[in-house]
Amino acid sequence: MGLDIRIPLGLMFLSTGGMMFLYGIFTRGSEIYAKSLGTNLNISWGLLMFLFGGVMFFFGRRKKWQDDPVNPRPWERPENPSTKVKARH
Amino acid sequence: MTNLTAIDWIIMLVYFVFVIGIGVLLRRKVKTSADFFLAGRAIPAWVCGLAFISANLGAQEVIGMAASGAKYGIATSHFYWIGAIPAMVFVGVFMMPFYYGSRARSVPEYLRLRFDEKTRGLNAISFAVMTVFSSGISMYAMARLIEILHFLDAPFQRFGIPQSYIFHFSIVASAVIVLAYILLGGLSSAIYNEVVQFFLIVAGFLPLTWLGLKNVGGWHGIVQKLPAAFTHSWVGMSQASTNPLGVDVFGLAMGLGFVLSFGYWCTDFLVVQRAMAADSMSAARRTPLIAAIPKMFFPFLVILPGLIAVSVPVVQSKLSAPIIQQTQAGQVSSNELPSKGLIPVKTNAVTGAPVLDDKGNPVYNYDLAIPVLLLHYFPSGILGLGLTALLASFMSGMAGNVTAFNTVWTYDIYQSYINKKATDAHYLWMGRMATIGGILLSIGAAYLATGFNNIMDALQLVFSFVNAPLFATFLLGMFWKRTTGHAAFTGLITGTVAALIHHGLTLPLNSAPGIHGAWITLVHTYPSDMAQNFWTAIIAFSTNLVITVAVSLVTKPREESELVGLVYSLTPKPVEHHLKWWQKPATLGFGVLAMLVILNLVFA
Repeated sequence: MGLDIRIPLGLMFLSTGGMMFLYGIFTRGSEIYAKSLGTNLNISWGLLMFLFGGVMFFFGRRKKWQDDPVNPRPWERPENPSTKVKARH
Repeated sequence: MTNLTAIDWIIMLVYFVFVIGIGVLLRRKVKTSADFFLAGRAIPAWVCGLAFISANLGAQEVIGMAASGAKYGIATSHFYWIGAIPAMVFVGVFMMPFYYGSRARSVPEYLRLRFDEKTRGLNAISFAVMTVFSSGISMYAMARLIEILHFLDAPFQRFGIPQSYIFHFSIVASAVIVLAYILLGGLSSAIYNEVVQFFLIVAGFLPLTWLGLKNVGGWHGIVQKLPAAFTHSWVGMSQASTNPLGVDVFGLAMGLGFVLSFGYWCTDFLVVQRAMAADSMSAARRTPLIAAIPKMFFPFLVILPGLIAVSVPVVQSKLSAPIIQQTQAGQVSSNELPSKGLIPVKTNAVTGAPVLDDKGNPVYNYDLAIPVLLLHYFPSGILGLGLTALLASFMSGMAGNVTAFNTVWTYDIYQSYINKKATDAHYLWMGRMATIGGILLSIGAAYLATGFNNIMDALQLVFSFVNAPLFATFLLGMFWKRTTGHAAFTGLITGTVAALIHHGLTLPLNSAPGIHGAWITLVHTYPSDMAQNFWTAIIAFSTNLVITVAVSLVTKPREESELVGLVYSLTPKPVEHHLKWWQKPATLGFGVLAMLVILNLVFA
């Protein structure tokens, strides 16, 4: 459908994870972490989410022929532009 | 009162911005009715697969499964391992070639192609009514939960709005958001959002399970604290009296594992629609198989928190504290309360007094297992994420129902019976109107649930009677070419009637005749309502099977040439030679089943 879902998904995790990470840094040692048994989950989980978002975004932005089971691979496509198969994306 | 900080609100807001944003981005892509209802059949398998489970991962699922985990223990995982995975493998490997290959645009439309108009009409109308009510129940449950969690109390106080408006606000806000993104991008928007919701639910609940396990001393700690029946899914299953579910192994395997599970995963358009949106036949077939992999591990995300909630050694929690003070004033003091960990006692919505059962014991509100854990363990920041995940699960369930409703309404009811020869643009317009109509009806259903809780219970019961015989019709239709339309229709009706009669003659133990059964007369008593439910399904299925076969044998079958692509024996096998061995649906299916066996052995 044109839009690769990994782009908005990645962006959302980048922003949410990033915010949690920064919030975790600013609230280091705060008593709010007594609830989470002394673990600053905002830093660790926020960072993990940020990285996941980054990976998703990166793969979403790459060229997408890998995922396309129908169209020929770039090196299999005919050289002549007139016979080129219409791209699906 | 739960006080959220700015960061929690921002996280929630970011989610809503993305949800609507996806709809806005996809808006330009929706040009035809096929784009709107079928996502242009252009979605890759992994996206469809995640949407497939996410659409099913509504409120009833997340809240209900955790509640069941707290009540019955790890045996609840049978609803996943027995009650979902085998059926998901079956629909992917064997049934999808007919759904996708027939080019039917919906499950009821497949029934018209295979059988006749009346069978389609019956299925389409009952399904449309059901989706509207399910989405209404989701909406109601979410609004009630937001009220109970009190996290909107502070902002409402600040703006001087009465607290009683929180319920209405929650209903309207969820309706507007779901409406906006479906109206803009149709099924693609719903599917894309379901994928986002899937990852969000995992991101929000995984740290919860991790913290909870750390707190109670890991799985080992749970095993030590809870009775053995809670931590072994197969112990005592041979007899109904020796396991917490009150079901014997035959009832479990036949009722849940076969009739109910195959009836849902293989015939319910809500989930099948996600696979129909796939970009190729092999992608459509892989959709439920890909979905089965995370689904298999979902017990750790939704059932385990229930077990953790009853294992946590503290009774005091933010939610249970005021409730226990009230009980102290009444007949039961907090010291006498049997420990249910963090699970609070159920309170009367109007008086706030604790609800007691016939014997004067407090009734626990197991539905709050996950919300209570979120508030107990999560500090600001990640709390916003957890609550967003909870809201996301409600919305994915609602949106799944609404997209299935607008398609069935437009193609199977409007186009078939009301306006047969309109332009595609008109049907696209009708789809958008049906989305608005579906959401308005859901709101109506949600308010009906507030006023008449029993009506909703009764309706859900009736739906279960309608659904129970369904799988027999599809099974015979797809795998026995002799099955006729008259037979399918008669079978469905008699199956539902059989379910109704069975319910009217039986009762679960310790229940009064009425909505629980025996409203005709009491003939048999089941050890639990689950057992009664499974047997109702078995009876309905068997009746449908026998009647459909019998009527088929005395009615005229259709020409074989008309059934190509619709029946197994007359359809060429799907072409798979371009796929590598590991990409083939059968390989994936075997892999999924092997993992399932391992999981069952580990938690036996």
